[in-house]
Amino acid sequence: MLGVFAWGTVVGLDLVSLPQMMLARPLVAGAGAGLLLGDVAAGLRMGVLFELFQFDILPVGATRYPEYGPATVVAVAAAQVFAIPFGVGLATVVGLFTAMLGGLSLQVHRRINTRAATVAAPALDAGDRGALVRLHLGGLGRDLVRGAAVTAAGLALAVLTREFVVPALSHRGERLLSVAATGAALAAGAAGTLRIVGRGPGLRWLALGLTGGIVAAWLV
Amino acid sequence: MKPRLGAAFLRLFTAQASWNYERLIGVGTGFAAEPLLRPLRADDDARYRAALGRATRYFNSHPYLTGVGVGALARAECDGAPPEQIERLRSALAGPLGSIGDRLVWAGWVPTLSALTLAAVAWGAGLRAVAAFLIVYNAGHLALRWWGLSAGWSRGARVAGALQAPWIRRAGEILGPVTALALGFALPLVAVWSGEAFRGWARITLAIAAAVTFGLLRWRPDVLSGLRLGLVLVVVALIAGIVWR
Repeated sequence: MLGVFAWGTVVGLDLVSLPQMMLARPLVAGAGAGLLLGDVAAGLRMGVLFELFQFDILPVGATRYPEYGPATVVAVAAAQVFAIPFGVGLATVVGLFTAMLGGLSLQVHRRINTRAATVAAPALDAGDRGALVRLHLGGLGRDLVRGAAVTAAGLALAVLTREFVVPALSHRGERLLSVAATGAALAAGAAGTLRIVGRGPGLRWLALGLTGGIVAAWLV
Repeated sequence: MKPRLGAAFLRLFTAQASWNYERLIGVGTGFAAEPLLRPLRADDDARYRAALGRATRYFNSHPYLTGVGVGALARAECDGAPPEQIERLRSALAGPLGSIGDRLVWAGWVPTLSALTLAAVAWGAGLRAVAAFLIVYNAGHLALRWWGLSAGWSRGARVAGALQAPWIRRAGEILGPVTALALGFALPLVAVWSGEAFRGWARITLAIAAAVTFGLLRWRPDVLSGLRLGLVLVVVALIAGIVWR
């Protein structure tokens, strides 16, 4: 679990601060967690599910959005910790709460950065190199701690869920939960797709792609 | 100058670490520009400090294109451009660097490759698809970052010409349809792949849940988000799952 915690922290840092190489993308985060836990199939399954949720957001400027990277890592770990048939549904519940927490923590991080920048403003405006380096690396360090805290909180939630929720959930109930989680992800992915494509000529290309995808799915 | 350009390039990867509501990406821009401004310190420390102070002011940009601003503003400082001209350049760059980056990367390159990877995973490519995503995505990512810094540094105050390069316009024209095509292609494959785990009533319920949730998301996109609705749906299902034994 230490490896998963470290991976979740790296993924959290990648989203905004360093190096933005899409390690925080759910597909990558989930595959990485699956590799670490020796269950690539679960990693890909959760990765695909949260990637669909990710389509629902465009991380433009100061917009507020949930953080699905560490959430996916936590969800993969949760699916393994629960060790129940299906397992996807309950792991998604843990992952979605972690994503919400991650989004909130990003806002807190930005607010703390703003306060630090306000305090350092006179030194920055005077061209104080030391103040600039301290302020910038301080933001980097805080984001590292933020990523670690979100991952740790998510893993703690997974443990609590295993203790208190798993015993109360029937096999049928878990299947229902998996259906709801998968349905919500597919809907979020489809709605996000329409938002990305927008109106106009893009819709024709989308329709063409859908046709191709349906034929490919039928062939497979 | 090459080592300093390399140092600035590496620092660009942290550009958003100190992102804040007052200066946005300005502090990160100053941090990345600092190695390029160092020659000024040898000549005149006051000029270096004034230039560094200006470099940390409010700036907005897509993170991958921040290098355009870093290079151009640092070059203008080194060329001795008047402070007013540098401020005008900063203001003029902020809007286009944000919109071009958002259009090309967040709404183009990322969803296109993500959709193709989803389709490949659904098709059974597994980890190879994810590895290919990382390699192809970051090849474009690194090239864009390096192009931005090089274009900014080589052109200085005349960097606007680089942003009107034909390849940028062409990339925007191509990526729009390609993104829509890739997303459309991936969705049915992923839907079928995700539904394979369910049989009978579960599969029918999945189709209904997805359709109703999609309808709600389209009906009130201003209020409802995938996360909010997803949370509501799974919490309701969780309660039902505990009750329904």
